[in-house]
Amino acid sequence: MIANILFLLLVSGVPYFIFLEKSKIFNSKAIFLLSAFMLLGAIGLSFFMKNDHSEPFVIISFLSAVYSIYRATKTTNFYKLGYYFIFINAPFFLLFEEQGAFYSLSLLVSLLGIYAIASFYEKHYGSANYLYVRGITLATPLVGISITVYLITLGLYPPLPNSLFFLTYIFNAETNALWYLVVITLYFGNFLISMKVLEKSIFGKTNPDIHYVDLDYKDKVTHVTIMAMLVILSFFGIEEILLWVL
Amino acid sequence: MGIIEKLDAIKNTVPHYWPIGSFIHHNPLKGFEDMKFKDALAKAKKIYGGRVYMEPSYYLKFYKEGKISHSILEENLKEILEVDGLAEYYDLAMRCLLEVNPEWNRYRSAASSQEHPIDEELLSYLDDEFSYHNKKKWLTKLTKHMTLYEINDILFNRDDKEVIEKSIIEYISRFLDEEQTTVSMENRELGMFETFKLYEDFDYPYDAEAFVEEALEKLQVKNKERYLLTHVLKLHGWAGFIKYRSEDPDYYSQQQYPSSLIDYIAIRLYYEVAYLKHRKINNFKLLDEYIENNGAYTILKLVKSKNNLPGKFIDAMEESNDYDSILESYTQYELQLDAKQVHLSKDQLNNINIPLVELAKIMEVLREEEGYIWMKSLEDTYIHQFVDEIDISQKNNTQRPVASAAFCLDVRSEVMRRSVERSGPYQTFGIGGFLGFPIAFVEFDKAHELFLCPAVVKPGNIVFELPIESDKQYNAKKGMTKTTQKVLKDLKNNPYTPYIMVEAIGWIFGINLFGKTFAPEKTNKLFKSFKAEKPKTAYTLDKLSDEEIELYVNKLHIHIISVILINNTSRKYSAQEIQAIRDHLVLGNELALKIESKLLQKLKNEYKVSFEDYEYQKKKLAQVGFTLEEKVTYLHNLLTMIGQVDNFAEFVIMSGHASVSDNNPFESALDCGACGGSSSLPNNRAICMIANSKDVREAIAKKGIVIPDDVKFIPALHITSTDEMKFYDTDILNEEEMKRFFKVMIDFNQASRMSRRERADALPYTNSSKDIFVKSMDWSEPRPEWGLAGNMGVFAGPRDSIKHMKFNNRLFMHSYDASLDNGEADILTRIFDGPLVVGEWINLEHYFSTVDNAIYGAGSKVYHNIVSKIGVFNGNYSDLKIGLPTQSVLSEGKAYHEPVRLLTYMEASLEKVGKAVERSVAKEFILNEWIRPIIIDKEAKKVYSYESGDFKVIKELE
Repeated sequence: MIANILFLLLVSGVPYFIFLEKSKIFNSKAIFLLSAFMLLGAIGLSFFMKNDHSEPFVIISFLSAVYSIYRATKTTNFYKLGYYFIFINAPFFLLFEEQGAFYSLSLLVSLLGIYAIASFYEKHYGSANYLYVRGITLATPLVGISITVYLITLGLYPPLPNSLFFLTYIFNAETNALWYLVVITLYFGNFLISMKVLEKSIFGKTNPDIHYVDLDYKDKVTHVTIMAMLVILSFFGIEEILLWVL
Repeated sequence: MGIIEKLDAIKNTVPHYWPIGSFIHHNPLKGFEDMKFKDALAKAKKIYGGRVYMEPSYYLKFYKEGKISHSILEENLKEILEVDGLAEYYDLAMRCLLEVNPEWNRYRSAASSQEHPIDEELLSYLDDEFSYHNKKKWLTKLTKHMTLYEINDILFNRDDKEVIEKSIIEYISRFLDEEQTTVSMENRELGMFETFKLYEDFDYPYDAEAFVEEALEKLQVKNKERYLLTHVLKLHGWAGFIKYRSEDPDYYSQQQYPSSLIDYIAIRLYYEVAYLKHRKINNFKLLDEYIENNGAYTILKLVKSKNNLPGKFIDAMEESNDYDSILESYTQYELQLDAKQVHLSKDQLNNINIPLVELAKIMEVLREEEGYIWMKSLEDTYIHQFVDEIDISQKNNTQRPVASAAFCLDVRSEVMRRSVERSGPYQTFGIGGFLGFPIAFVEFDKAHELFLCPAVVKPGNIVFELPIESDKQYNAKKGMTKTTQKVLKDLKNNPYTPYIMVEAIGWIFGINLFGKTFAPEKTNKLFKSFKAEKPKTAYTLDKLSDEEIELYVNKLHIHIISVILINNTSRKYSAQEIQAIRDHLVLGNELALKIESKLLQKLKNEYKVSFEDYEYQKKKLAQVGFTLEEKVTYLHNLLTMIGQVDNFAEFVIMSGHASVSDNNPFESALDCGACGGSSSLPNNRAICMIANSKDVREAIAKKGIVIPDDVKFIPALHITSTDEMKFYDTDILNEEEMKRFFKVMIDFNQASRMSRRERADALPYTNSSKDIFVKSMDWSEPRPEWGLAGNMGVFAGPRDSIKHMKFNNRLFMHSYDASLDNGEADILTRIFDGPLVVGEWINLEHYFSTVDNAIYGAGSKVYHNIVSKIGVFNGNYSDLKIGLPTQSVLSEGKAYHEPVRLLTYMEASLEKVGKAVERSVAKEFILNEWIRPIIIDKEAKKVYSYESGDFKVIKELE
């Protein structure tokens, strides 16, 4: 019970929507970092504490996730998008139990990529908002590729790690009505939001008022590292699936 | 003013759009031709947005390469500055043009990341100038050409526009369908709006005009004319097509399924009213009230929707509701950027002593004018180069050439003509591909007539192509192919069968798919062998007698009646009885035999066996062929027009042209523009048949043109995508003549090879002649040839004057000998009325498709799908794509076509040109400077250019 409350507080958006949203102290970047740190803490704790899912808590986090999906459709800021993704996936953390930690770890790595992109936007375009900086595939292809990789990972596209851990869980799960509701809703939530952001951020005409900047050496190293981590997790995910199949 | 009058006042804003099957190049700003070119472009920019000239950096590159002369640029800049009262700032303006303006956008993006002290006076000037603090003015600017549903969508995050436009496109594409689908919409004969009422189950007793009036009242539109324009502009490709149909009484589909712009507007407004019915704001009065209370929010949302609101302000809108302060911060931010741009410009122009406000004003004027200054300087540089190089000295060519060849004046003939001239003792001429000989042509085995002449001309003579040898083999092969194609088409287009079809016979298409991809030449050869080959044919060039006409009309009616009777009754009718029925229906004679009155009505109404049809058929048949006088007149006009009145070669080759490509909806754009986007071979064959006839030669001799008996007119076809020459009707030559002509054919083949080699250099991914052939049969090739891209001018004068010059397929060349023209300049007027009009349309279509392909062009071919067999659109639904695709004018994203107005060189006296202009239909666009007339007056020894309403001497000839 205590573990469930703790996990709920750490990973779901409930505290954010109740407290942090109203606070003037935390900006979106800080909330992103805080949420990611809390999720990391939860992943760490889950290795020591038994993560039995309790239905009422899954329901609470599911409601919070649905609200987060709604909020994610309203924002065009990468930081906000980042922590909304954490909240959207919170029910998975609870529901997936021991596999939830791996799924969340993979989620965290892809969000690290989104965070790097958000910082890049903030540095060069004054804000982590992507709507104004459209058409980056044409103007800055490397940034375009990076965003595409992170968003399709978040959108649960195989063979990227999020989808593989998700798949492993589906193969192993004991299902019930709540399970179906959560899994189906959140699967489509992740997918549709990722695709919506992809369409609005990387496509379209370039903005003539913007001086577009592509990744420099340091940025490239950062993104290659994140992508390498995703690849490693993918191998791990494939291994999990093969274990189940064989 | 009624709604129809209001619509009439604005409808010319959209150009006509001809169906893609007979692609007609046109000026997308045709409706603006009553204005001066420069003013019209400024107006078009306000209406359509986008660009009307190329970017300054484009011209700057030419300037640096020496393609734009510095002295000419200087002259043009001075002229503009004088008009604008800024002559004293010439040096500064020149530096701005060369150093600052091409960097203007970069300064803005740099300004956002650079700190700079700002001049307060400049800030306040910019504030006044751009009315940032005048919300009403700002909102008017932002909502210009926006419908109520679009504004609603933006304010309340809805997607009505998507649904409304999709519904409109779905309906109109189905209504306007020209047999693309096998399941046609029913009741289309009622008209577009009446059918729509059935389609939407909309019970409305009045017509489209009444509905539009009502809908505009419901929406509480203040400026109805402007709102109609707003709606017309939303899908201006479709609107342009509907406008074209409704204004062409001969358009078959329009006769069958009438449509009009008012119907189209009514349909648009129906959806607007229907979708807004349940919205919070469903009329403009409510919108005004909303704006009154939420001005700042509305501005911010509109700016955001146009992708002009920087990220930090979008974030601020997400986090706070204090829109007034967000708008104020945004205003200050924009003002700071505007000011920094001016500061950075001044820094670039270091050491200039001028107040910033003055500098801002000069730069603003320059930004308005620079496109025109640069473009005119490019044109003027070309003009000066041309007049310096032209050789107008008298030449004595008394030697008889072995062959002369008349090509279309099309730019693509230029390289070919030069190659032919280099290949032997040959002379070439240029003339509009229809040869000044407009015909309605009914091809062998086709039922409809093609108008082979410019779109502005209506032909008065019909020519049928008839077989002169057995067509049994053709019919057998054709019948088989036709049946196979029909079955496949029905299976493909029927909603229920494609799935089964893919499973069962899908693999057959694989042969075509893999074959065309990996072995296009062999596959092409294989499929060609299945194609039925046309038998030898001749044309009906003589007039029918009254008796013959009577006989044919009777035969047609008898045939229709016989078929209907066989299909609808069990009784057999004798020939006399059928004749009696016909006479009863057509001539009103008493009918003695008994026949169902229902059947008679069917014959009369459905199959049009009636007196009206009898009269119509008689009228049509009376148009078949030519009188001797007509034949002689057309031939005489043709020969005098090109200056070929004596010293005829033994073989006078008259060459039409056409293009060959695969999987290319725009194929007809590559055919002859002067023949309404079709092959010009029929005109050339017909004129050769006329010129070879004895009675015509005798009659034309009386008019002063003696064509010796040994002269043979031979029709030919120039395939522009491969530069092959094909010769027709050579069976009129005897053995000896054939031997000599064979040598000519070999030389022309050599010319084709030379031409291909030269053209291969300009075509991307083309290294050899073989590549050129493959392009014409490669189904994945979006650019089988450059077509008319690159066109920049037209020359009307003797070939000898420019024979030594190389134009790389960029010049239309019309042969013209001013000494043969009469005092009224009849010949020149004819050149203006036909070829010049077509040339201007082609030139401006290329111009606008290049400067802003998204607005005036058709976008990339890669995304195109054919819709309703009338044009193309993007993906599943979009506006009908007008103009040219990017592959026709751009190469790897950069302009291949150089957008300049048609530089119209005429070797004639100023007086003659003046008379021709005065009498020509082209007068309006000539005087309004949509082309650049240059007159090379040998008699006065002067070269004139028509500018700013006057003929200026630009060169004295020695």
